[in-house]
Amino acid sequence: MKKMLAIVLALMLVFSATAAFAADYEIVSKGFQHQYWQAVLAGAQAKAAELGVEINFVGPANESAYDEQLSQLNSAINAAPKAIGLAALSTETCLDAIKTAQESGIPIIGFDSGVPGAPEGAILANCATNNYNAGALAGEMVYAAIKDRIAAAEGTVRIGVSAQDAVSESVTQRGLGFIDKIGELAAADGYTVKLEGNEKYVNDAKVESVDDGKIVIETLVPSQVTAELSAIDCQNLLNKSDIIALYGSNQHSAEAMVTANENLQKLGTGEGQVIGAGFDSGAVIKAAVADGTFLGAITQAPFAMGEALVDTMVKAANGEAVEDIDTGCQWYTAENMNDEDIAINLYD
Amino acid sequence: MQKQLSEKRGFANNPIVRAIGLQRIVVVLAVILEAVLFSILSPAFRQYATVVSILDYSYYITFMAIGVTFCLISGGNDLSVGAGMICYALAGGFLVQHLGWPVWAGMLVTIAIGLCFGVLNGAMVAIMNLPPFIATLCTMLITRGLGSILTGGMAVSWPSRNSEGGWFRSLFKIINNGKIIPVGFAIVIFFIIVMSIVLNKTRVGRYIIAIGSNKEAARLSGVNVIKYQMLAYIISGFFAGLAGIAYSATFSSSVAPGTGAGLELDAIGGAIIGGTSMTGGQGSIIGTLLGVFVMSLLKTGLPYVGLQANWQQIITGIVLIVAIYIDVLKNKKTA
Repeated sequence: MKKMLAIVLALMLVFSATAAFAADYEIVSKGFQHQYWQAVLAGAQAKAAELGVEINFVGPANESAYDEQLSQLNSAINAAPKAIGLAALSTETCLDAIKTAQESGIPIIGFDSGVPGAPEGAILANCATNNYNAGALAGEMVYAAIKDRIAAAEGTVRIGVSAQDAVSESVTQRGLGFIDKIGELAAADGYTVKLEGNEKYVNDAKVESVDDGKIVIETLVPSQVTAELSAIDCQNLLNKSDIIALYGSNQHSAEAMVTANENLQKLGTGEGQVIGAGFDSGAVIKAAVADGTFLGAITQAPFAMGEALVDTMVKAANGEAVEDIDTGCQWYTAENMNDEDIAINLYD
Repeated sequence: MQKQLSEKRGFANNPIVRAIGLQRIVVVLAVILEAVLFSILSPAFRQYATVVSILDYSYYITFMAIGVTFCLISGGNDLSVGAGMICYALAGGFLVQHLGWPVWAGMLVTIAIGLCFGVLNGAMVAIMNLPPFIATLCTMLITRGLGSILTGGMAVSWPSRNSEGGWFRSLFKIINNGKIIPVGFAIVIFFIIVMSIVLNKTRVGRYIIAIGSNKEAARLSGVNVIKYQMLAYIISGFFAGLAGIAYSATFSSSVAPGTGAGLELDAIGGAIIGGTSMTGGQGSIIGTLLGVFVMSLLKTGLPYVGLQANWQQIITGIVLIVAIYIDVLKNKKTA
């Protein structure tokens, strides 16, 4: 019994010591599952060191752990920091906490996909990739690569989109940006488009879908986010006889394309091969771009995003005016991926 | 009517049918039916690459399912294999990717951690007498959290096929000049044979079956119940570790912390469809393999015939209800 009491007391001491540490700035991310977040963290730490401020960077175990993120946000508010950085997994879940922060006068700066749908004035500024524009950039690059094939095709041609989900703001915007850009460029060339697959993407795209469209854009979303189900989706798309391009709108989906292609060997830039485009980096996607399996991929600027976030948080805490910052994105290929300005944003 | 019934009984009593097992015959027919149906409905399905993919995606589930079969037969269950498999693969992969350990050492660590959690599960169930469902649910949570802590929350990439250390992927699939050989199936078959022998021809298997049939009777007959009940969970831990390696070798994707929970249902489902009893005392390893194929074929085949995402879950759920109902009927008959 005495031993148990000693252990409990020791644990309480550890917890109180932890609680006593309070950083000037609290950053609540979506977790560290993808190396992307490590690059955001590195950028934030670099800027914090430059400005001489202390940051506490946290995130939940995975991107479905809404409650865990809420608890981290509440802890951040309780620590009474000068400002909070927040990449919300679900705005709805965080609403009450955001109101509490607002009432306590703690400025919140959104980052990554930000805090879409937050109450007016709750988020002072967002430091984020414009995901819709990033998806559109992928669409533009893919369309340029398949333009001649569309013109030469007698029947329909199909462009596949593998999306991790139809809920997350960042993933859906990247998909919709891609679909809309293909639709826009196709219309300019006089082609019609038919949208197939997941209803969210079919309904929310700005493209007018016609039944006998020359270009079919099919978006598949797995019932669960597992490597297996996304790979099966990609395989299914790659096996369609009229497929000419496939796009994976985040690291998970792009890696699933690589898994699916291992047995089918259909992706590539050569004659008759299917053009592949990915999103984000990581060792698998970088290798696919380098060896020509993918035409290219979009990388966000996570390091710059981390830097911009801390910079904006400090400005907001000092009462300076802050505004939204598009931290940008780049299209990288085997040719330019080692250029200094791109390589800094690619991670393993 | 009477004649029809006696004919049915006659089929079930046929010595060949009795030797193979009626449920196993039904499962084999289900696998064949699925393969034929999907092949007819989708030309894209009937190709070698699809067969290889089905095999690729079945390895890790089969390994988990072999282990779970032992737990189920012992009258328990192991819900930790899904999250555990990812945790063990994360730990092994982290050592390889970030600390420069050789791949073989990372693989050994993956299996060793699986074994440790098997011992923990076994101790909780056999020594502490915790309900298996609760005990392994707790280790599911522990392994899920531990995977994140060990890797700092980061996803881990085991070496890719063409990089240094990528040889381990060839244990499951050889790709040479565009030719693909799914050698992993040979490994699966090896373990199916070995574990079938362990289950049916050794003291370990017979005692585990005896414990699952009637724990008290087994104890009174002099069986060391604690030892053999623990062994069932240790076997499950070993195979969860092996599943972690198979998962890392067959998917190009990085292994992400926080994932894996839910994958145990594929393994448990496969075992039940294959004829393993939920109440213990009955089951076979070959049946489990077939059950896993019923699930894998559904998962791969349904998208090919245009049934998307949520339909796959509904149909898998229905198949499981049928399998469990057959188990209930069998138990009634035995009682």
